Amino acid sequence: MDCRIGVYVCNCGTNIAKVVDCDEVARAVRGMPGVAVVRSYKYNCSNPGQEMIVQDIRDLGLDRVVVAACSPRMHEPTFRKALAMGGINPYFLEMANIREQCSWVHDDPRAATDKAIALTRAAVRRVALHEPLEKRYVDMNPSTLVLGGGIAGLTAALELAMSGQPVILVEREDHLGGNLARTDLTAPFLDSARDLLRDRVARVSGNPRVTLLLRSELKELQGFVGNFMARVGPAGIPAGEADQTYPVGSVVVCTGYQPFDAARIASFGYGRLPDVVTSFDLERMLREGRVLTDKGKPPRYAAIIHCVGSRSETWHPYCSRVCCMTALKYGHEIRATNPDCFIYDLYIDMHAFGKGMEDFYRRSAEIKTIFILNEKNSVPEILPAEPRHGCGMLIRARDMLCGEDVEIPADLVVLMVGMEARHDAGKVAHVVNISQDKDGWFIESHPKLDPVATTTDGVFIAGTCSSPKDIPDSVAQARAAVARILAKIARGRIEVDAVYAEVDEQSCSGCRMCNELCPYAAIAYDEEKGRSHVISALCKACGTCVAACPSGAIKGRHFTDAQIFAQIEGVL
Amino acid sequence: MAFEPRIVGFLCNWCSYTGADLAGTSRVKYPPNVRAIRVMCSARVDPTFVVKAFREGADGVLICGCHPGDCHYSEGNYKTMRRVPMLKRLLADYGIEPERVRLEWVSASEGQRFAEVVGEITEAVRRLGPCRIKSNLETDLAER
Repeated sequence: MDCRIGVYVCNCGTNIAKVVDCDEVARAVRGMPGVAVVRSYKYNCSNPGQEMIVQDIRDLGLDRVVVAACSPRMHEPTFRKALAMGGINPYFLEMANIREQCSWVHDDPRAATDKAIALTRAAVRRVALHEPLEKRYVDMNPSTLVLGGGIAGLTAALELAMSGQPVILVEREDHLGGNLARTDLTAPFLDSARDLLRDRVARVSGNPRVTLLLRSELKELQGFVGNFMARVGPAGIPAGEADQTYPVGSVVVCTGYQPFDAARIASFGYGRLPDVVTSFDLERMLREGRVLTDKGKPPRYAAIIHCVGSRSETWHPYCSRVCCMTALKYGHEIRATNPDCFIYDLYIDMHAFGKGMEDFYRRSAEIKTIFILNEKNSVPEILPAEPRHGCGMLIRARDMLCGEDVEIPADLVVLMVGMEARHDAGKVAHVVNISQDKDGWFIESHPKLDPVATTTDGVFIAGTCSSPKDIPDSVAQARAAVARILAKIARGRIEVDAVYAEVDEQSCSGCRMCNELCPYAAIAYDEEKGRSHVISALCKACGTCVAACPSGAIKGRHFTDAQIFAQIEGVL
Repeated sequence: MAFEPRIVGFLCNWCSYTGADLAGTSRVKYPPNVRAIRVMCSARVDPTFVVKAFREGADGVLICGCHPGDCHYSEGNYKTMRRVPMLKRLLADYGIEPERVRLEWVSASEGQRFAEVVGEITEAVRRLGPCRIKSNLETDLAER
């Protein structure tokens, strides 16, 4: 094989170099067939690092490049661009993952260096067999399907419609607003949730560009970025004749969260003690304008318990992010309806991380909310009180600041229920083909650099379906997803990966086994020729047919048998 | 020197390779014996890849895909699930212990699990000792 390969061993500062001897890796591949130049460099993804590759391609006539660095899931697009800048086909790149799958997971420098050498050698052998591939372009349908009509979905739909693009907004319930519609004021600025929603709901409902489908859900999503077919039908019943199909180019999933069920923690007595309520129960009272006990009396003592279902070894390990400020808000709101009420606030840590929040915490202390630092993973116990106590209930808790067990009087107890992934999140994930993390939240393409995209091109996530979030973050994410979609629409047509399967008609025996195996019905059979062929626009390059073809007639572009064999030889 | 097994890993791009990357970003430590090859789907793992790996001197082969029902290509892993037991029977006929091949499901969020899977197969293959198929084949060919 005549080729000129450049190999770049990235030190990633010390991320790779502190465990892997990068110079030894460089020495080990120098002299391999086809290798023209080997360099070890501090940061190959930096501008000078990329420029080095571009220059070498031009000066040394390189026609293949191996970058031994981070995961290809991180910087493959970066280095492909560098190859294109240098004037060679971007698919003449192969990366060896010596960071995520080597230096970050191994402590022994000898073993890690040996593994890095093996992975880099495999990449060198593989890249020699790479073929130039041309990108494919498909038209971009400007319509977008938005799933969920909470604050994130409303924002996404409205932004898209205002930019002149058609939107299909699908909501399971019979009204818009999601969980925010159940809320009175918002923290920390005490704006009315009603005001936030009213205007948006009206503008979405009356918008000629928005097709609003209430009491509906997505039943099926077929196709690929730019060209999806979305089947939408009545919520809660199986797919059927009532379903409608909409062609859309993108999907924004804004399906939100569900509150933690407080009845699961028995010692709180929720459902058993009538004056133990959840945050959403209290929101309802606040929206009605009066906070009263079950017997209709204004409470003299109100206690607010944080982290119900959150930050717990037993329930959810994560923080739900909004409850601390919401709890402080209740101090202000209960006081507003009932100025004589004593407010006790039982917290684990006060998370006041956002704009205006620390000020809000201070103001809450000034209105004499009594804060009690509660021990993490200990659940306060709520008991009915006796008449001599002069209150409805007693809360037994451990006050960490004075180191004593305390009994707190309460006529009303508010449980700050956390956020959890919706019970049907798995179904949604399956339909739109995205993944969930261990807690059920949808997984972003990259948690820091690509937080609203998913592993399925054209499907975006925004709001609390991907993790607990407050309103500003949900709104920002919805707008971020819209920006991504508008960028695609503006280009008119979109680039799709050049990786797909091809049938060699000469070798095809026409057995049609691949026709049955393809999950996308992307392989058609030509009756006249008696041969199968791949419809490349539908192919998603899984390679199932390639592995199954008894005649070896199907080639998985960029994942050919020869390329993978070369890699196997290289790692061993 | 103690026997260090050489294991080839075939990881699907969407779940298991991402899970392995997550083990890295989370700095979870595991043995360095598995060398990963990325495929788009576990269903791309042609049985000949596994045979090739043993032929080239691998002591074990690890195939990882998305959990059943979670495949990025909706059902590729079901094909893998059916192929691997058949392959193991074939390998047994060649004198390769079926325990040298392992099919595991590792999702994109299971970095810890990926590390555990690597630890398990490394230990299992270490107990089996080196795979002799490569040297046996070479002796056979030399005698012929």
